[in-house]
Amino acid sequence: MSSTIIQALNSGFVTSIQIFGITLLFSLPLGLLLAVISRSRWAPFRFLMRGQGEDAPRWRKVLAAFRPVKFIVDVVVWVIRGTPLVLQLLVIYYGPGLIFDQNIWGSGYQGRYIAVLAAFVINYTCYFSVIYRGGIESVPVGQREAGEVLGMTKRQIFFKVTLLQMIKRILPPMSNEIITLVKDTSLARVIAVGEIIKAGENFLRQGIITPLFFTGVYFLVFVGILTLFFGYLERRLNYFK
Amino acid sequence: MKKRTLALLGLVAALAISLAGCTDKAPQDTETPDPTGSTPVAESDIAYIQSKGTLVVGVTDYPPLDYQDESGEWVGFDADMCRAVAEALGVECEFVSINWNNKLMELEGKSIDVIWNGMTLTDEVANGSSPTIGYLSNGQVLVLKAENAAKFEAGELALADFTPAVEAGSSGEKAAAAAGLSCVPVEAQVDALMEVAAGTSDSCVIDTLLANVSTGEGTDYADLVIAADLEVEMDVAACRKGSDLTEFINEQMVTLYENGTTLQLAEQYGIADMVVKPE
Amino acid sequence: MALLEVENIEKHFGRTRVLENISFQLDQGQALAIIGSSGSGKTTLLRCLNFLEKPDSGIIRVQGKPLFDANDPATQREAEIRRKRLHFGMVFQSFNLFPQYTALQNVTLAPELLAKEQGSGPDKAAIAEEGRRLLAQMGLADRADHYPHQLSGGQQQRVAIARALAMHPDILCFDEPTSALDPELTGEVLKVIRSLADQNTTMVIVTHEMAFARDVADQVIFMDGGVIVEQGPPEQVICNPKEERTRQFLSRYAR
Repeated sequence: MSSTIIQALNSGFVTSIQIFGITLLFSLPLGLLLAVISRSRWAPFRFLMRGQGEDAPRWRKVLAAFRPVKFIVDVVVWVIRGTPLVLQLLVIYYGPGLIFDQNIWGSGYQGRYIAVLAAFVINYTCYFSVIYRGGIESVPVGQREAGEVLGMTKRQIFFKVTLLQMIKRILPPMSNEIITLVKDTSLARVIAVGEIIKAGENFLRQGIITPLFFTGVYFLVFVGILTLFFGYLERRLNYFK
Repeated sequence: MKKRTLALLGLVAALAISLAGCTDKAPQDTETPDPTGSTPVAESDIAYIQSKGTLVVGVTDYPPLDYQDESGEWVGFDADMCRAVAEALGVECEFVSINWNNKLMELEGKSIDVIWNGMTLTDEVANGSSPTIGYLSNGQVLVLKAENAAKFEAGELALADFTPAVEAGSSGEKAAAAAGLSCVPVEAQVDALMEVAAGTSDSCVIDTLLANVSTGEGTDYADLVIAADLEVEMDVAACRKGSDLTEFINEQMVTLYENGTTLQLAEQYGIADMVVKPE
Repeated sequence: MALLEVENIEKHFGRTRVLENISFQLDQGQALAIIGSSGSGKTTLLRCLNFLEKPDSGIIRVQGKPLFDANDPATQREAEIRRKRLHFGMVFQSFNLFPQYTALQNVTLAPELLAKEQGSGPDKAAIAEEGRRLLAQMGLADRADHYPHQLSGGQQQRVAIARALAMHPDILCFDEPTSALDPELTGEVLKVIRSLADQNTTMVIVTHEMAFARDVADQVIFMDGGVIVEQGPPEQVICNPKEERTRQFLSRYAR
């Protein structure tokens, strides 16, 4: 394959990896934050059940149990997980200009790039938050209580006791999702961000097919490295059960 | 607030419909643009472009009309024509690589100001934008494998024996239908070409220009040949619906043709035989 | 003055009353055994002492100072509760050791964090030495660097006892410490608790081991349906109960 083709694929792949890396950089911590928020037990109408028994009217029970923060997070996660990422990319990039006549992304390539990152970060934050939540809930409550009776703060319990156990439990689903992210970066081309598949497709116009198929090698190598990395992490955390 | 929610729902619905509509042919009654139905641009589009100082042009990699040279600069017949128009407007040209499937959304959402990329005048374009007058003749051709082309030439195979792959909603699809052929609609013209090379389709109908640059010597499609011309059409540029830029570009196209610039550029890029007199 | 005074503790879960009118006192160096069937409220009582549950009413005093008073919100501030907890040590039925730490690290983690918080900068060597001493006291000198999953249930529970002792609690609480253990492993844990009693450690022990309660406890409380049915020295409550309900309960343990 000619050096121009390799060069074009390389530069496309750099974009793919940038999208991958920046998405992780933001959505890994944001997902954790969202998971913690979604566990909020704040129920502003709880007072409605004060002094009420089991036979209280139904509306009181429902309203008293209503947790607005959790509700909002649940709806957002439902919408984001319930619609294709392609559609989210289109809505985020074209929505402002089409609906409000305000193209907030500007005309240049930079705007597209930022829109892609925004869509990916939002999407993956939601997916990660669900994984994190499962992880947090899978750590037995006795671990937290053991920390409490030893006089630890909530912070200390989270960072010194719960976190590592949670990480060990979420590692398999996380590695799955992160490997999916590698391949999802190829969706960036629907708003014309030049990732590697687009770089390959560009050659089709000149009647050259091989570059497009050759992009698979890049993905395989990169995912292979990730697989090794996650295997290493899992082995590192194998010392406890 | 309510309006915005409705608008967002509308957008999602519109996206869903437009996706579903890809495989369908456009309804006949929308063949000519309805002047009362188009939403006029509130203020002058030219004033808007001049105020920001750049004319943002939506392009794809499409040599020899639009492509990037070694330094990354966009060049080509269309790109150079566009630069001349921008100069007359007193603004800079900014070329933006777009996803061709979303070209009309790009225009309406103001992420680009004009599409100038060897675009064939189709119903979709006529209805969804304000097209300029034609500046290139660009036909639809039937592409076959060399062995089939030989049989076709010898009369062993007839046009009716083929089931061409076509880009869904393209003028290629229309041309094939007009010739009485049933089609295999695919995502893009380049996919249609790959279908033929892979043998998953026996033929395809694509733009003359694309067929010329992507088949023959030095490509992966060396064994594909253009077997027949099906239809001749016009390539146009397009602005937002109701834009006053369209008229300006039309005037410029005439001027550039009359002062010889157009033909000079066409010769430079080797497509002199495709140039038509703008009117 | 009694070391621990519990006055009129009440606790509801929804409309279910789990604890009602619980009052008792415990002197320095004494061991209190709480017996009763499952669901009688004994574990909830222990959890109230450790602030894992908040009583709806009542007062808990240690050395005469009210640690908790349901009528005084000032005694319920989150930041202070953390400090007050340290008066009590807790040993759970299911051990709840931290799986990612070795036996020794389980014992030293909380003391190190506390020392760091107090700004003195933890003297890690001293804390580790103290940890090793406690593990040796539990008969686990050679298991200090094992992870919990490498230890038997009885060994894990002994690590948990060492972990609780490392915080120097005034009162050590046990929540059915041998219930999750195979019968052949309960002996080693009971032996350790017995030796703690011999050293006059103040303890509250929720247990189903009647013979053990009788031998070790200075005082026994029998609970049923969230109330204290009978309390007194073991010779009275276990060997010679006055109440019919106590007799019924104990008859199931008669051998």
